Amino acid sequence: MRYKIGIDVGGTFTDLFLWSPAGAVETFKVLSTPEDPSIGVLDGLAAIAESKGESREALAAQVTTIVHGTTVTTNAVLTRGGAKTGLITTTGVRDALEMRRGIREEQYNNRLRNVVPLVPRRLRRPVRGRLDHAGAELLPLAEDDVRAAASLLKQEGCAAVAVCLMNAFANPAHEKRVTAIVRAVLPGAYLSVSTEVLPTIRFYNRASTTVLNAYVGPVFGAYMQNLASRLKEVGFRGVLLIMQSNGGVALPEVTAQHAASTLLSGPAAGPRAGVAYALEHGRSDAVVVDMGGTSFDASLVQKGEAALNNEGEIDRLRIALPMLAITTIGAGGGSIGWVDEGGLLNMGPQSAGARPGPACYGRSGELATCTDADLQLGYLDPAYFAWPLALDVDEAAAGIYRVINTNMAHGVREVTVKRGLDPRAFPLVVAGGAGALHACMIARELEIPTLLVPPTASVLCAAGMLLSDLQHDFVRSFVTPLASADWRALLCLVDEMTAAGGSQLEVEGIPPERATHQAALDLRYVKQYHEVTVPVPRAAIERADLEAIAALFHARHNQLYGYDLAAEGTPLELINVRVKSVGLAEKPALPRLAAGGADPGAALKGKRRVFLPERSAFGEAPVYDGHRLRAGNVIPGPALIERTDTTIFVSESFSARVDGLGSCVLTACAGSGGNE
Amino acid sequence: MSDVKIDKVLVSIIGRALKAITGEMSVSMEKSTRSPILCEAKDFVTGLYDAEGRMLEQTENLPILSFSLSPVCRHIAAAFKGDVHPGDVFFHNDVFTFGNQNNDVAAFKPIFHRERLVAWAATKGHQADIGGAVRGGYNPNATEVWQEALRIPAVKVYDRGKLRKDVWDLIFANIRLPIVMEDMRAEIGSCTVGERRLLELIDKYGLDVFEAHKEHLFEATAKMMEAEIRSIPSGTYHGEAQVYFDGKTPGSRYTIRVEITVADERIRFDYSATDPQTDGFVNGTYTSSASATILTFLQMVNPNIPHNDGMLRPIEIVIPEGTILNASYPAATTFGNHLCPPNADAIIRALAPAIPERVTAGWNQLLCSLSTGQDPRRRGSYVDILFMGLKGGSGALSGCDGYDHIGMIDASGGVLDQDYEMFEQQTPHRLISHEYLADSGGAGEFRGGLGVETVYQVGADDTQIVAFGDGDVEPAFGLFGGRPGTLNFIELRYPDGRVRRAASKDLVRGVPRGTVYVQQAGGGGGYGDPRRRPAETVREEVRNEVVSLVAARALYGVALDPETLEIDEQETARLRGR
Repeated sequence: MRYKIGIDVGGTFTDLFLWSPAGAVETFKVLSTPEDPSIGVLDGLAAIAESKGESREALAAQVTTIVHGTTVTTNAVLTRGGAKTGLITTTGVRDALEMRRGIREEQYNNRLRNVVPLVPRRLRRPVRGRLDHAGAELLPLAEDDVRAAASLLKQEGCAAVAVCLMNAFANPAHEKRVTAIVRAVLPGAYLSVSTEVLPTIRFYNRASTTVLNAYVGPVFGAYMQNLASRLKEVGFRGVLLIMQSNGGVALPEVTAQHAASTLLSGPAAGPRAGVAYALEHGRSDAVVVDMGGTSFDASLVQKGEAALNNEGEIDRLRIALPMLAITTIGAGGGSIGWVDEGGLLNMGPQSAGARPGPACYGRSGELATCTDADLQLGYLDPAYFAWPLALDVDEAAAGIYRVINTNMAHGVREVTVKRGLDPRAFPLVVAGGAGALHACMIARELEIPTLLVPPTASVLCAAGMLLSDLQHDFVRSFVTPLASADWRALLCLVDEMTAAGGSQLEVEGIPPERATHQAALDLRYVKQYHEVTVPVPRAAIERADLEAIAALFHARHNQLYGYDLAAEGTPLELINVRVKSVGLAEKPALPRLAAGGADPGAALKGKRRVFLPERSAFGEAPVYDGHRLRAGNVIPGPALIERTDTTIFVSESFSARVDGLGSCVLTACAGSGGNE
Repeated sequence: MSDVKIDKVLVSIIGRALKAITGEMSVSMEKSTRSPILCEAKDFVTGLYDAEGRMLEQTENLPILSFSLSPVCRHIAAAFKGDVHPGDVFFHNDVFTFGNQNNDVAAFKPIFHRERLVAWAATKGHQADIGGAVRGGYNPNATEVWQEALRIPAVKVYDRGKLRKDVWDLIFANIRLPIVMEDMRAEIGSCTVGERRLLELIDKYGLDVFEAHKEHLFEATAKMMEAEIRSIPSGTYHGEAQVYFDGKTPGSRYTIRVEITVADERIRFDYSATDPQTDGFVNGTYTSSASATILTFLQMVNPNIPHNDGMLRPIEIVIPEGTILNASYPAATTFGNHLCPPNADAIIRALAPAIPERVTAGWNQLLCSLSTGQDPRRRGSYVDILFMGLKGGSGALSGCDGYDHIGMIDASGGVLDQDYEMFEQQTPHRLISHEYLADSGGAGEFRGGLGVETVYQVGADDTQIVAFGDGDVEPAFGLFGGRPGTLNFIELRYPDGRVRRAASKDLVRGVPRGTVYVQQAGGGGGYGDPRRRPAETVREEVRNEVVSLVAARALYGVALDPETLEIDEQETARLRGR
């Protein structure tokens, strides 16, 4: 056998998705081992081997590809467990990192503290030397300052050094020289240089991203080394690929210099898997939601590609790298419901898994968790969840159910409406253990007509890892009025970045014919401050087709901001040029489920009293064994479909049909469009 | 409508949806405007109001602008009664019809659901110029409103979806910078975003259901606020604070006096004893002063109360006309927003004895500057408010240090620094430094937030610099044994060696290229006895050079070895009297 394995290491569970050439797929879950996540990975391989009746070594020898998503870098930031890091920066601006432009995210909350910076002030070392706004040297670099700073950081025992100088985006010369000096003084340190990590304008974004990269670099490197040697020990000789925040995969050695690009490694594969199941129905767009124990993630796929943001935040720290556009809200199975002083019901963000909850804030009216409510409403089989109920009032449980559904619906709006898209136009792909209990009501809230619960719902990200392509993103500042742009220089830059992408992919074994490169321009109306990223065909740049490019921009601007200035003829400015290089990976085909008739009777296992949200009352619903359903089975709501790791609640206004991949496709029944 | 059954859960849902909509309106403004005052500093507010002008929800990036929108909305609804149509857009800035500041220009868009007026969307931002005698505003020599700005009482700029080009041209013929026109288009775009989303929401639940649940949302919110007020001991409390220099008479000062009466679930702020208005521009309008009162009080209660009409119902604010906080027509009032810091000081002083665990020590007061002129690199003009320079520290409170570099209390961290590299693209100036100022945060068991020092080199001849603010006479005060923060100043060091210290309200013309601009924004006040602050914390702050060795010893009673920075336990115990 020649196996491929997707491995998603989460906070609690390590999910594995095994594919074999015979076309079968299997899913496995083992406990994560946060102190050294590679142990959990090996435990997972052992679990697979055991199920095959083979030794771990025998199994490992048959594995050709492992794609791995990891939260080691995310956790390093969240727990402040990254490397001791120093920052070398221009005199006068060393505090930008800690100031975060002076924001306090909650204006009326005087108890909200600033974020502890990843580099303390004494390790942020200023050096003299200055470039102007266009990159011309105003003051030569003071190399003695650099040597002194590097020596101090060495003395302090820094394992990583970030370098970010003012206006370096326009001229990397000073940063290059600093890098050479630091390398000489601190040969063993991980070096993160702003013009290599993110050569674009905006000092704080660049400094913060460069420091994040330095901070997680050594942690990522050590983990990779550890994992690689453990895999080698058990005889793995295949290719190891790492999931990146941008939804693509890359070789560990390519990722190592851009460790910050793995900060969203964990959830980044979800959209890819989600759309793979939607494709069964000819849909290449989808909203993918994943409801876990403490949080709810929503992401978006358009034309088969996961939507990305060019900047975001992790733990209130800015990171300006392309990363999966994912909205995370504090709504999970453990979220706690509580009643405020005005008598209104709220859910979370406190979670039972993350005390202190509301009771610790001296607030009365704490009710129960979302899982408590799901149990109370009959959605979960009490035999599986012997949790004590905090409350036995059906009405409260129904309220919790509705409020958390609304909160999650807002999460879906964040990734659709805020991007100018109508959520009703997308099928909702539902993942995570608890997601499928709530999905019908989220869909109703948003009037989404179609939902899809894949057979791999509880390990969707691990599945997605085997379905992801290799991907590298490049961005460079190119500031010019578009009308007077030097189109030849622009085309050269695009081609240069494309070539860089091509050669990186070649290192990863992707021949040119399997590589694609998409250019995009960050444009704005002249004198605007923020840009809109518009994908542009290379040919339009080659033809210097100002009009076609402008038309793309006007339309996008109106969609996002409610107006455009096309009629006024307001000129456009170009700020950054982007190239996304994708190498098509060989992806396994998903297995097909045997067909049966429409009648699901063979899978019926009983009945249960459940809450019927459409009529705000309890009633009887049949319960089906999800593992015994066949393609073509139709299950009208209300009904419960139970699998060992997921329960699907089909509400009254939906009807479920099992498709050829084993997904349950829930469709809103005609005439049920009303709202409760 | 009365027969709609109230669903409490739906009340929560609608409240949450309204918050999300005003948030989206805010993103539209932030991402599509031009002036750094809007897109970088976020000096704007976005809101939704019902047909009667009652606040449904707001996103208050700069709260001092916020609480005038509802009164203006009521004013427009009344003034144009019978003449409000789908597709209309109104502009407004007039401070004598409930506006808060001349530069804060609002766009209002009525929202119709099947031909019935159901709500208004409004966006108001600080525009880079609004006519008047001084580019960018803040004319310290003004004595009447016309010397400050173009007055825009409620005017319709779009009538049934059609641009009233004559009106539009009249307005923008009186404003210097073309970007203001585009940024007002962005305000309209933001209102359109609000309109689209609110109509989706109403369509979803039906108008009757929406209306009935909205009333319930107001009531529930009022109850939350009443519960907060009830937790303050009933009684009458007095506080006062000084306003220094009216821009005309050196050494002049005025007193803000507030009497706060808490009676069970209601609170009343009475400013009747406040000094009369000035004859310059250091005057408030009713709505700027009332906004100051509200935003200060909101920091003393549960920060999660929704911002709608119900929140304000238990609060009464009395500010007699003719006082410095509510000047009579046709006074100059551009400085009015910046009377918030002393107003806040008066309120904090009054309530500190009643709720010592909820008030902060004094915040650094605003001192700000605006530079304007021609950028020789582009042969174009620019206006820049130096937000990064004005942001000092907040006051500490029980159990929590002040926030470093947060800025004036009326923004509370909602207004951001320019990005340094964008500053050098958008102005001809070159940033020399922008760093925390050591020893600026008032010492205390809980330290006041740090201030900053900002230095830049002026990059073009004939630059004009306008200074406006306070905090150069009296530092942010400490509480319960905490020490005060440091003072603000702005200094110009000319290439010929002259040094000019700007007055707190000042207009400096003809600043030559090469001049070095130096500004300090002071720290916030400390809370509690500094000798109770853990010695290890003090040591760490000395290592990070935000507290000096001298201050560690003299103020905190912590003795450190000057070489190793190790704590001298014995000496520290002696200094701390233990």
